[in-house]
Amino acid sequence: MTDLVHGEAVDHGHPEHESTGVDNRKLGMWVFLSSEFLFFGALISNYLIYSNRGGFEGVYPAEIYDIPFTSVSSFVLLMSSLTMVLAHNALSRGDQNGTKTWLFATASLGAVFLGGQVFEFTEFIVEFDMALTTNPAASAFYVLTGFHGIHVAIGVIMLLSLWGLARRKEGLSEKAGLNLELVGLYWHFVDIIWIVIFTVVYLLSTVPS
Amino acid sequence: MSAEHHPAHPTPSQYWKIAVLLAVLTAVEVAMFYINEATDLGSLNALILIALAVLKFVIVVGYYMHLRYETSILSRFFTAGFILALSLYAVVLGAMGVIAIRG
Repeated sequence: MTDLVHGEAVDHGHPEHESTGVDNRKLGMWVFLSSEFLFFGALISNYLIYSNRGGFEGVYPAEIYDIPFTSVSSFVLLMSSLTMVLAHNALSRGDQNGTKTWLFATASLGAVFLGGQVFEFTEFIVEFDMALTTNPAASAFYVLTGFHGIHVAIGVIMLLSLWGLARRKEGLSEKAGLNLELVGLYWHFVDIIWIVIFTVVYLLSTVPS
Repeated sequence: MSAEHHPAHPTPSQYWKIAVLLAVLTAVEVAMFYINEATDLGSLNALILIALAVLKFVIVVGYYMHLRYETSILSRFFTAGFILALSLYAVVLGAMGVIAIRG
């Protein structure tokens, strides 16, 4: 609850409940994530339209995908969802050490995923000469997976910030527990978007004849 | 406050079991990719892969994001955004000839 004292807002650290019965910040995060479906939906549709259109010069992304490598990356991101939920669970039990460990593990797995993406992009550009402007299919691929990568990078920064707070002597407070939950929701969302991208972009893509 | 009854969140061991299930589903997806390369299952391959992705999606949202334990207003917001995006882009992809629409 927020009271006004001498014209200034005073936060007593209580959840900001409204008539919905849900903390406003949590509701806001769910609405934000819901809106992100439209954002990623546009990028996935853009990829599907151009990757199915023949006649472009240069290599198509589907010709050069390294499925075993991307499968490992997908597995890494999937397991980061496990470590994220274990961090949340540890904090709810008051286990500060567990929270720190699992937060760091989640950020590390996210960083490994990003490293894999940098490697993949570098290989595509250097080995296969498929740059951002090679053709519309390549552009659509880089924009889609690149924006997803930016989301992962933002998540890693938020996770490391929480980990830094958790490393303090007093650890994470009860109020910070909601922050961890919100970062967790964001992180899992990034994971479910990758579940869709992995299937639609990597496993189901074909090269147009 | 909501008067809805919500079951308890999973335990750490249940989270691990869910992770094993997700890993197995991913392995099946990758196996399907290679089976299709060898035998060309056609649209059956696409159906199976999409079904597996939907299953993984639902498991992560339901158990890791705890949506099945939350108040229904959150489910409604999330589902509404998903269905809106799915419908909008199905129409776009249909109009662009990427997916076939049979009347």
